[in-house]
Amino acid sequence: MLPTGIHFERYAAEARILKTRRAQIWAAALVVLLLVMPQFAGNYLLGVFTHMFITLMAVYGLFATVGMAGQINIAQSAFVGIGAFAAAKLSGYGLPVFVVVPLAAVITGLVSILFALPAARVKGFYLALTTLAAQVMFPIIILALPSSWLGGLVGMPVEPLRIAGIRLSSPTQLYYFALILVAILTVAAFNLPRSRFGRALMAVRDNDIVAEVMGIPVLKMKILAFFAGSLFAGVAGACTAYFLQFVTVDSFTLFDSVWYLGMLIVGGIHSPVGAILGVVFITAVQEGLHWGATAILHAGGAASGGMLFALTSVALGAAILIALIFEPRGLAHRWAVLRAAFQLWPFPRN
Amino acid sequence: MIKLIQILIEGALVGLVYGLVAISFVVIYRASRIINLAQGEVLVFGALFLWTFTLGLRSIGYEMPLLVAIALTIGACVAFGVGLERFVFRPLIGQPAFAIFMASIALLILLRGTAQLIWTAETRSFPVILPEGAFNLGPFLINTRLMIGGLFTVALTMALHLFFTRSRRGLRLAAVAEDHNTALSLGISVRAAIAIAWILGAIVATCGAVVLLSGRIVSLEVAHIGFKALPVALLGGLESIRGAPLAGIIIGVGEALAMTYLDPHTNGAASGILPYLVMVAVVLIRPQGLFGWKKIERL
Repeated sequence: MLPTGIHFERYAAEARILKTRRAQIWAAALVVLLLVMPQFAGNYLLGVFTHMFITLMAVYGLFATVGMAGQINIAQSAFVGIGAFAAAKLSGYGLPVFVVVPLAAVITGLVSILFALPAARVKGFYLALTTLAAQVMFPIIILALPSSWLGGLVGMPVEPLRIAGIRLSSPTQLYYFALILVAILTVAAFNLPRSRFGRALMAVRDNDIVAEVMGIPVLKMKILAFFAGSLFAGVAGACTAYFLQFVTVDSFTLFDSVWYLGMLIVGGIHSPVGAILGVVFITAVQEGLHWGATAILHAGGAASGGMLFALTSVALGAAILIALIFEPRGLAHRWAVLRAAFQLWPFPRN
Repeated sequence: MIKLIQILIEGALVGLVYGLVAISFVVIYRASRIINLAQGEVLVFGALFLWTFTLGLRSIGYEMPLLVAIALTIGACVAFGVGLERFVFRPLIGQPAFAIFMASIALLILLRGTAQLIWTAETRSFPVILPEGAFNLGPFLINTRLMIGGLFTVALTMALHLFFTRSRRGLRLAAVAEDHNTALSLGISVRAAIAIAWILGAIVATCGAVVLLSGRIVSLEVAHIGFKALPVALLGGLESIRGAPLAGIIIGVGEALAMTYLDPHTNGAASGILPYLVMVAVVLIRPQGLFGWKKIERL
């Protein structure tokens, strides 16, 4: 919905992501705000934001696979893990970061193709099950490999992040590192629905038999959907590796995969805005509960880490169910409604 | 040779436990067309219900006979199933399969969190319901608990199979498993079907918990059995009750063999991966499983 009095004469203007001057100003303001964050935010808040950026990268990947192409993927966390282990291994060889990150992404993508191949035979729920197999097999395989390869049970240290010989390890530097990567991926995710590839994915999602009839190579598109989604996951994994400085299989569980999916559903699966809103919303809920639990603990009440985890689980589970039942289009739709009301004010909507 | 047969027997008995849990998957799918990823959590809920009504009540001073406790557990399962139908799945009737699948994933998180809130994450011992120990059958040693569980599984399979293929209500459920909208237009209550599915699913899962846990430790981690039973359900065919125990035996025996002969060479990975490799293979070669319904798609 565009504000009154704005109309376009060319298709290029119509297809732009930030259509109006006002939208550009808001986006620029957001970027500036994120850039100056470290000036006034403490290390804890920066850590939360860095973590949020990494999560957002993984959820963008799910947006490509699940939201655009309609292929359910419940192994995103395993793919993030593959990216993390690949980055840890590659950084151990002394490769520079701008080689490690893309290479980790490509390795993750190639592994994901293995689990996308069953798309040749099955679809929907059954395809989701092969990704479940990927998620369950991931820790078993990593733990069974010789520990000199990927660290086994102990885990694997990661070489600290170095750019042009300077070691970056403070929260502020890691924040900027994650910010740059998430900015690149945001551009990619927002442009995906506008591209020929993205349109093909959407056709496959809406009806794959019709897509086939229309001349879209459906199998290739399904496999590429997994590949694309895993590229995002691989970057998120590499970023996690640099952020945590140590990777173990325990950081990449089925539960995390479910959380990623949950964030996407709560936010709205059909637009990258949904990914952002979902991640921000769930992170806010998590931090709010965390803050509340700490407050109770300080007040002398009984609150344990397990309790906090349980509460967050209940909150997320309930949020997904509420989203599915009452607003399947997610927060992104609410956001669009709100924006339309704001732009049309003082005229009533419809 | 005796060792090999002993391994086969043990594998088959463990496999029947998988089969029992897989039946609880199949029952839910067969009656409501819901693939419930949260089945492991449902099993944990059943186990915790039973624990509450036996050892839990005893610890606060109320002792009650085992049969009453079991009746109360079944009552709790019924309430659980009806509650899920009313608040989660009724609003989702007619929604695409994607939404219902996602709902089961949400349920997985929600149930795990709820279980942790109500019962806390501590491990607790499970009441001894089936006899412990083992008996000799010729040269072979057989675990009594698993043997009784296996016989129970076979009996339950027969009973459920008769219910789903012979009784009027069971046949109606088949229509729901085919398609919600079709079932509705035939005048079949999808709501009732879903409620029945979840009640049966919870009760069968509780039976699975009894066989699996009797006299052992119950914790939230037990829910992992759900993901182990999923490949079994898939191999047997999601619509086939009788396929589940058979597939359970296949997976159980395969796992036992892999554990004995392959694990020493693969650092213990082979038996863990095997069920999932089978699952991927089934999905690739015969998606409907051994006895499932083959679906034909048209434009």
